[in-house]
Amino acid sequence: MSKTNNFVFTVLKIVSWLIFVGLCIEAGGLIVNFIFSLYKPEFVHNLYQKLDLSEIYNKSKWAFFGMYSFILFISILKAYLFYVVIKLVTKINLLKPFNNFVAQQIMQISYSTFLIGIISYVARQTAKNLQHHGYVVDNLNQFWEDSQAFILMAAVIYIIATIFKKGVEIQTENDLTV
Amino acid sequence: MPIIVNLDVMMAKRKISLNELSEKVDLTLSNLSILKTGKAKAIRFSTLEAICKALNCQPADILEYRDEN
Repeated sequence: MSKTNNFVFTVLKIVSWLIFVGLCIEAGGLIVNFIFSLYKPEFVHNLYQKLDLSEIYNKSKWAFFGMYSFILFISILKAYLFYVVIKLVTKINLLKPFNNFVAQQIMQISYSTFLIGIISYVARQTAKNLQHHGYVVDNLNQFWEDSQAFILMAAVIYIIATIFKKGVEIQTENDLTV
Repeated sequence: MPIIVNLDVMMAKRKISLNELSEKVDLTLSNLSILKTGKAKAIRFSTLEAICKALNCQPADILEYRDEN
């Protein structure tokens, strides 16, 4: 393995950890806000990152909790996605990368990415629908504006995972060839 | 697997141990063990040639096809 590759890999590990910690903080903040909003509705106008959903809450509690559930689910899934990425970059052996563990992790990344994309898309369509009924949802678009990118990424990662699985098969056969 | 490896039978007939055979055919003990225990997925012709030469036998003496049904 060249020194450049090792350096790039180390940078990748550090960046993954930073993003994971950031996503965990975001997901944690959103969960705490969600619990608070159940018992103290006055907090709804000043949620995580100064998000103000008081208008939606006052108009319809179901709409508020529905949209907030989407936000929560997406943020938790993103944190889980990076957890899997960290597991992969920590345990992968670049000298012998073709094994079942790595193949499984890549497949898991693909499924998580697809789930994020689909839920983001559904949330975006739901928000559009609510907008038609007079709800102000512009401040929520930041949570699902990249849904198509996630779906595209999921497709690409799935193809990579399939090729990797084939690589594992070939590696195993090669290992058992005398 | 339908292909049965009768290496242990030939080794017993020729009275040769696994260590001796591995030295003669230039194959590691672990690889030879993989072959002997039937876990191998494939065998190179060069390996088959070396084993037949070391055991003074034919490929048919080492490899047998048995229909699973």
